[in-house]
Amino acid sequence: MNLKQASIFQAFVVTLKRDLLIAYKRKNDIVNPFMFFLITSSLFPIGISPDPSRLGEIAAGVLWISALLASLLAMDNLYRADFEDGSLEQLLVSPHPLYFLVLAKNIGHWLVSGLPVVLISPLIAYMINLPQESYSVLFFTLLIGTPILSLVGSIGVALTVGLGSRGLILAMISLPMSVPVLIAGTLAIQETANGAPLAGYLAIMGAMLLGSITLAPLASALALRISVN
Amino acid sequence: MQRSEGQEALRVDNLFCERGERILFQDLALVICQGEVIQVKGPNGSGKTTLLRIVCGLHDGYQGSITWCGETTREHPEDFLSSLTYLGHHVGVNKVLTPLENLRWSCGLRQETDDKDIYSALEDMGLKGFEESQCFTLSAGQQQRVSLSRLLLNQSNLWVLDEPFTTLDADGVKLLEGLLCKHIDRGGAALVTTHHNLGVPGLKVLELT
Amino acid sequence: MWLWFAKLGSPKWFYDVSDRWLPWLAGAMALFMIVGVIWALLFLPPDYQQGLTTRILVIHVAVAGTSLAFFPLMAVAGTITLVWKMKLADMVAKNAAALGAWFSFVTLATGSIWGSVMWGTWWEWTDARLVSMLFQFFLLLSVVALRSAIEDTDKAAKACALLSIVGCINVVIIKYSVEWWNVLHQPASPLSMSSDNANGPEFWMATGVMIIAVYLFFIVSLILTTRNEILQREKRSQWVQDIVRAA
Repeated sequence: MNLKQASIFQAFVVTLKRDLLIAYKRKNDIVNPFMFFLITSSLFPIGISPDPSRLGEIAAGVLWISALLASLLAMDNLYRADFEDGSLEQLLVSPHPLYFLVLAKNIGHWLVSGLPVVLISPLIAYMINLPQESYSVLFFTLLIGTPILSLVGSIGVALTVGLGSRGLILAMISLPMSVPVLIAGTLAIQETANGAPLAGYLAIMGAMLLGSITLAPLASALALRISVN
Repeated sequence: MQRSEGQEALRVDNLFCERGERILFQDLALVICQGEVIQVKGPNGSGKTTLLRIVCGLHDGYQGSITWCGETTREHPEDFLSSLTYLGHHVGVNKVLTPLENLRWSCGLRQETDDKDIYSALEDMGLKGFEESQCFTLSAGQQQRVSLSRLLLNQSNLWVLDEPFTTLDADGVKLLEGLLCKHIDRGGAALVTTHHNLGVPGLKVLELT
Repeated sequence: MWLWFAKLGSPKWFYDVSDRWLPWLAGAMALFMIVGVIWALLFLPPDYQQGLTTRILVIHVAVAGTSLAFFPLMAVAGTITLVWKMKLADMVAKNAAALGAWFSFVTLATGSIWGSVMWGTWWEWTDARLVSMLFQFFLLLSVVALRSAIEDTDKAAKACALLSIVGCINVVIIKYSVEWWNVLHQPASPLSMSSDNANGPEFWMATGVMIIAVYLFFIVSLILTTRNEILQREKRSQWVQDIVRAA
């Protein structure tokens, strides 16, 4: 055998492929967040009011908060199995910068747990009577916003991965951190409905996404090293 | 990278580490040369696993210096990590994936890995016919063998093995000893914790207390 | 060598130095606190617009100002913990999180008492400062929660250090995004809590005294809790045992 070292890009790709393959084999990783999103958002009409006009007013917030909670619930899977079976150690002793491998895992995780939520959101939006003109805004803001939630949430997951009672602490860490994204997402929907241009909001969220792609995996990588220690 | 036998590979100096209130090591020194196996022995809680994890950079709560071929591993980890294969307590094998898929990932992280090589490594480890069954259907010993296949595939200079014999049967033990012998013949180095009496020529023992 | 120095030398150095400074700081704190509280609560003339409620604002502003110092402090301490592995930094940071959560809570409480009179409601979402203070409170609590969930002291120190740095960045982003959210939801209310133009110079003088008092209180409590922490963590070392024997 003549061994040729894998490039960072190849390591990134094999990690992404592996995580997608695991998700494909454990179908509930894909289905659960999606079902959670569906169920939570259908509780709001029951809890608040079946009146279409009142629902229309709160629809944007309902969709965003449901997406936020769905993303939080799905996060726990991100590193736990790898931590328990020792794959995480193999990841840490690989010669590549952990930043890219963590980024690959985050992207893989978003593709299986975040993207389905984004794709189903117009259907739920219809059910809870989101104003017609807001559909595309909702879709695009969720498309940019949910990856931010995954990237930022990943830090909390990495910090709590070895703990016994991590669920509540994870929520305490991640939920306050998602406030800026929630504000940007819901404001975009409300303000464009009032006639404001969408581009500005997308630019702000895009900036948030770029910022979190650059910084969050670094923090996650450091957090993983701390947790494995 | 081919290195002549007897040349110093890994050097640990003045290692100090405490866990909680207790000092695990103080002034611990360790040198592994090319073509040498060091067995780390000691009672439970003496810090065998911690020592191995410190060497691999998985644990950083220590003071002292660790150098690989003259460069400190803290400051220049890339060279060191690409010549290292670490197999820990946990086998690092995902249960829903097959041995083939697991190795495609964990070896693909390090070098371009061909499926053909993975098949032959699994065959050498006595797992022919299990390449495509999901790992939760395999026994603990078989999963350990999947993990050990990495030694064949990575061809690293330094092996760091934490209790690799625990779940292996008599055949497996012989197989791994054979691998270790071949490894040192090629000029490789290894750091192994085990209570098993290793049948490897030129074995050195480090006793921790 | 340097690491050894940082590890063993610093806590003892801090303990000795703080021993000398503590009486002076505590005395100054008591002085400012007594003057500030009596002035603010008993003698400050009622505001023409807010009446006597302006008096609680003195304490509120002082506590609020101090509570903003916690995350930057913890982030700096966290950076020191992660980069230089200095144990003293973590001993300071450990107590700062809980203390900061308490300061944030007092800020929220005094703010809503003031609000209950001025706005007729205990809680007002249209005040951006109350809302971002609420989230700062939550984030500080999450640091406390993470600390208590990790048994290993060293690991807890590093994990909380990282969370403090991330949290500090986040508090700033939250502050700006809440203001932005607020501006778009409702134009600033005429009775915003800043009241810069509404209060006379005497109000600001009393507030100044109170701010110094609260800052001194913050420093003194941090020193006391840190000293306590030092004794606990260094209980094996000779100098701590000497102190215990002498006591």
